[in-house]
Order: sequence, then C-alpha cells, then structure tokens
Amino acid sequence: MADQADFERDAMQYAPQLYSAALRMTRNPADAEDVVQETFLKAYRSYHTFEEGTNLKAWLYRILTNTYINRYRKAQRRPSEVELGELQDLYLFRRLGETSGGAAVSAEEEVLDQFVEADVKEALESIPEHFRLPVLLADVEGFSYKEIAEIVDIPIGTVMSRLHRGRKALQKKLWDFAKQRGITGS
Amino acid sequence: MKNNCDHALEYVYHYLDEEITWYHRARVRWHLRRCNDCCNGYEFERRVKAMVRSKGVDEPPPELFERLRAFIREHGVDDR
Repeated sequence: MADQADFERDAMQYAPQLYSAALRMTRNPADAEDVVQETFLKAYRSYHTFEEGTNLKAWLYRILTNTYINRYRKAQRRPSEVELGELQDLYLFRRLGETSGGAAVSAEEEVLDQFVEADVKEALESIPEHFRLPVLLADVEGFSYKEIAEIVDIPIGTVMSRLHRGRKALQKKLWDFAKQRGITGS
Repeated sequence: MKNNCDHALEYVYHYLDEEITWYHRARVRWHLRRCNDCCNGYEFERRVKAMVRSKGVDEPPPELFERLRAFIREHGVDDR
C-alpha cells in the first residue's frame, strides 16, 4: 500500500514521459495535457491501491492508456489485420535496397540520419491506433511484451502481432517521406 | 540457407526486443555470422528502433509540473 503523501515525490518524475506518450496518442498538445492531468488525478486518488515495490511506471501507463482509450477511442475505425499484415518483413530496408541496387549497406543506414524528429513523430502518429500503442510502449518507452500486455490489457500474442504490424506501418510512412524527398539509398 | 534466412526474419523483432528463447537466439546468431544480407537487415532494424526512441519524444511544456501539482491540489480531495 502506497501513501498518498509520497505521490508527488514518487510519481511526478514520470510526467514528462507520460506527456510525450500522450502527445503521440492524441496528436495534440492540449489534449495530451488533459489526458496527463486526468491520469495523475486518477493515480493520486487511487494511489492507496498501488502496491509498493511493483512497477509504478507501468501502473501509471496503464491509467494513461485507459484514460486515453475511454476519451478518444469512441469512433475509431479498426483497420483490418490484413491491411497492415501484407507488408514485407524488413520493409524499409528492402525498399531502400531496391533503389540502391543493393550496393552499399552504409547508404541505407545513412538514410536514417536524414529523418528528422518531425518525420519520426509524424510516422508514429500515422500508425493506426490499435497498432500505435504497442509501438509507443515498446520502442519509445522500452516496456517488455508482458508489461505491454498488462498496460493495454490484451494477450501477449496480440501485443506481438500488433507491434510487428505497427512497426511495418511506421516504416511504410518513413518510406513515403524518403520517396517524396528523393532520399534513397543510392 | 533459405530456411535459416526465413527463421532469422521471423525472429528479428523478438531478437532485438530481447524477447526470445535461448534456442532461437543461438540459431539466429549462428545464422547472422554466415549471412551478410540478414546481418545487414538486423543492423538496419536495430538502428530504426534506436531512431524511434531518440527522435520520437517531446519535451513537456515547462509549466507542466506546476499545473499538474495545482490541478491535483484543487481536485485531489474528493469532489467526485
């Protein structure tokens, strides 16, 4: 049992990370701050139910995810698994390899250096929501599959398939950017 | 070799996420030492993952902490 008096000291340190995650979820700073506020308020009020010594960061992300879903998921169209599942493995690597004739591997890696923060953020935000949450939680926040399963409340097998598909969707968006700007592996 | 490439591709994310059994990890490692294409693919995926982590994050507005504290003080005590 955690003491509410310790809440600020223990939980506030995660506010910046939660804000950034909320921004990727809502795609809008005002909504992100609303979600974070509501998250911290709920967390504060139920802090006595948090079991000390367990994962506080994961507990906060679970509240954040629930808050976001309850508020914003109302009218979301769920993309079919097929739509995203069709993309080839190593999607971006293969596309870049095709344009460079598979010549220099370093060229493909140099392409990554040309993506700026805004590209990566936009690509993340373009992933359909069901697939975006696992990608955010795994790649940006560094949670394990098991932790993500608990945070989003889905089976671990579903975490894996959504994560894999979400990552491919992200790479497809990055490839669109690369093509638009004539950034290719050659 | 083809089978081993397929296996390596199937496990690329499990491997990079360190969510893999020792058997599959050993099999992937053995293969990566022998297959340039898969090795390059793995390295590329590793770099994409690192890039998402380093470039996908925003700083919060500087007043966020103060606003959160004020918000909790105002509403934290039961007004449900």
